[in-house]
Amino acid sequence: MALTTGKPSAQRQGFELAMMSPALFLLALITLVPFFSIIWMSFNDVSLMGGLAFEFSGLENWKRVFTDPDIRSSWLISLVYFLATVGLEMVIGTVMALLVYSLTRGSNIIISMLLIPMFIAPVIVGLLGRFMLDPSHGLYAWLLNESGLFDGNILGSVGSAMVAVILMDVWEWTPLVALIVLAGLASVPEDTLEAAEMDGAKYSQKLIYIILPSISNILLVALLIRAMDAIRFFAIIFITTNGGPADSTKIIPIRLYDIAFRFFDLGYAAAVGITMLVFSIMVATAFTKLLKRQETSS
Amino acid sequence: MTQFKRRDILKGMGGLAGLSLMGAGPLRTALAQGMASDEAWKQASGTTIQFISENTPPTTAIAANLASFQELTGITVNITEMQLGALVQKVALDFGAGRSAFDVIYADPYQVLAPYHRGLVDLNTFINDDQQPVVPQGIEDFIPSQLAAAGRFKDSESLYTLPYDCPTMIWIYRRDLFEKYHDQMQQDLGFDPTPSDSTTWEQYYQIAEWFSNGNASEVQYGTGHQALQYDSLMCDFSNVLFAYGGDYFANGQQVGLLGTDSPGECQLTSEPALEAARFYQKLLKVAHPGSTSWDWTGVANAFQNGEFAMMPEWHEFAGSLESSPLQGKIGYAPLPKGPARSANLWGGTGIGINANASAEKQKAAWLFLVWATSPQTQLMGLKSEVGGGTPTRQSVYDMPEVKAASTPPTDMPNMLTADTMLTAWQDDHIGLRPKIAQWNEVDTVIFTELSKMLAGQMSPEETMQSAKQRIDRIVGA
Repeated sequence: MALTTGKPSAQRQGFELAMMSPALFLLALITLVPFFSIIWMSFNDVSLMGGLAFEFSGLENWKRVFTDPDIRSSWLISLVYFLATVGLEMVIGTVMALLVYSLTRGSNIIISMLLIPMFIAPVIVGLLGRFMLDPSHGLYAWLLNESGLFDGNILGSVGSAMVAVILMDVWEWTPLVALIVLAGLASVPEDTLEAAEMDGAKYSQKLIYIILPSISNILLVALLIRAMDAIRFFAIIFITTNGGPADSTKIIPIRLYDIAFRFFDLGYAAAVGITMLVFSIMVATAFTKLLKRQETSS
Repeated sequence: MTQFKRRDILKGMGGLAGLSLMGAGPLRTALAQGMASDEAWKQASGTTIQFISENTPPTTAIAANLASFQELTGITVNITEMQLGALVQKVALDFGAGRSAFDVIYADPYQVLAPYHRGLVDLNTFINDDQQPVVPQGIEDFIPSQLAAAGRFKDSESLYTLPYDCPTMIWIYRRDLFEKYHDQMQQDLGFDPTPSDSTTWEQYYQIAEWFSNGNASEVQYGTGHQALQYDSLMCDFSNVLFAYGGDYFANGQQVGLLGTDSPGECQLTSEPALEAARFYQKLLKVAHPGSTSWDWTGVANAFQNGEFAMMPEWHEFAGSLESSPLQGKIGYAPLPKGPARSANLWGGTGIGINANASAEKQKAAWLFLVWATSPQTQLMGLKSEVGGGTPTRQSVYDMPEVKAASTPPTDMPNMLTADTMLTAWQDDHIGLRPKIAQWNEVDTVIFTELSKMLAGQMSPEETMQSAKQRIDRIVGA
């Protein structure tokens, strides 16, 4: 059988496009229409009563987005939350993966156990966290109190509530990072490691000069996946603190939920939602560029 | 189409007085004879209607007894139960779509009725229709303050819902501890600590402090509160605010009873409101520290676990508390009074009919409304083993068996609060938050600013000032 090489003919391209067009049309319908609707909504006051109605309000919603102190404060809290969760998950996940990779026996069982938190729905993690940290009957609250480490109300105090929700997210998603890094560790060149060992390199030197550079791409992928998820984090905070106390855990998705589904200020919510989308695209673009640069250099 | 005359429908109404003596018994017969002829009840037979409700005790009881309604009317009712917030979203989107995914709506006065009353049927249409079953004993049988607060908006003529449930905040306390330490407390505090109509919030504070100082080995703290940054915090604070003579808007009781589109300037910087905020901050300092992470369920659980001696709480928690190890040890009283009065925040709701529903479904929905809020169904709810709320009708409270159940031992634990509730619902005791379309946003401002105050980030004066500024912007004052 003769193999065809080179670019497909224009006729064939046309045929492929015709075959794909229903799917492309459907995809456009379910993504582009809502996308442009949301952009249009952000320039309107939207009313739900008696059917959806738009009243053009110009740049009013956008002006509010950039002048509202509550939105500013929520972005700041989101940034703290984002850096803390993603940072901790990357560091702890990498360490976990290295430890598991170094095991000679029982690694499969350990991996299975490590992955358990990841399979629990975030809502359940929130409910579990609320239960364990309850000041009257929560096990963790009791342990912290008995050990003298913390005797306040964990979810009811500014500071500790933020730490608690960050740790809940870290507990749930660090295993995902560990799993991705573990997959990457399999690609670290054994011969290079052996050569380094022969030259008397210490573990820390192998880690810094061989292992981490070898898995840098995979680390970036893990970072990208967790970063995208952290931006839209919602369930655990919604269940445990609902943004409190004193708005100290009111990250931007919680604020957006309030504006959209409690106040039904849908025009303003659309504007806030678009800023979240832009932020996500910026983060994703930055990581993708890094990844490409990494691939080019290697 | 079969035509019914009013006298057909009223046939058997004379037996209504006897209804109260019949108990839950053969409900179908009692209702059919008491409110209308069989034909009137069967006029929408074969229809299926959708009822969306908050997951509250009355709906749980009704869901468990729907067979009797279906047998009576031939109407199938599908009930969707969920958290109030989720319900509001679904109802708003239903109205927004101009459709009727839900025919009968659990219409919270603040989150559904005020913003979306135009989407609900004015029930006078059915009340004045000779072909429809009458509301047994008339709408006058509903507790008047509840009828206005749950059912009306802006005017005293239109009626959008029938009162369906009526949770109200009262003072729930460990009667066993108050009795055991009565003399010692009286000696230490210099007043009779037994909760009564004359107890003041200042005395409540002193009692709380007395328990928190370790004077009773059974509990570590005196009081617990639902002070999570959530609707519960606004509810908890409102009791104090109203008692001190403050309010969110001018003419607060009227704004709470009938509601308005333009409430005017926020009144939270008035001296009584500031005094209330100062007191609330002081009170929460001696409360169980868990208070700032509890909503109403959290604080009830902690009370049940013996964490503290008393709390302001919704009266419908009596049902579950009386089936806990604390059974028989709990006392109930109206909330303490402030310089102005005793205020007990009312959190009731009515059920209404979606105006987008078809005429046939609206008829079926009306039959369901009449049945669901009838004295017999409310009595059934009281006796239900799966929950059940407390009645919204005076005639149920007047039933001898219900009266008898208001003292222990009882098979209707919610009725242990009956005397307290009948006081709490009086015009000078009931606490009504503003019924305005922007309430959700205003509520969020209130509990967020209060949460900042409790976290020590703002003084009471700064809190009230900041809340006023934000609320004025929201309502356009």
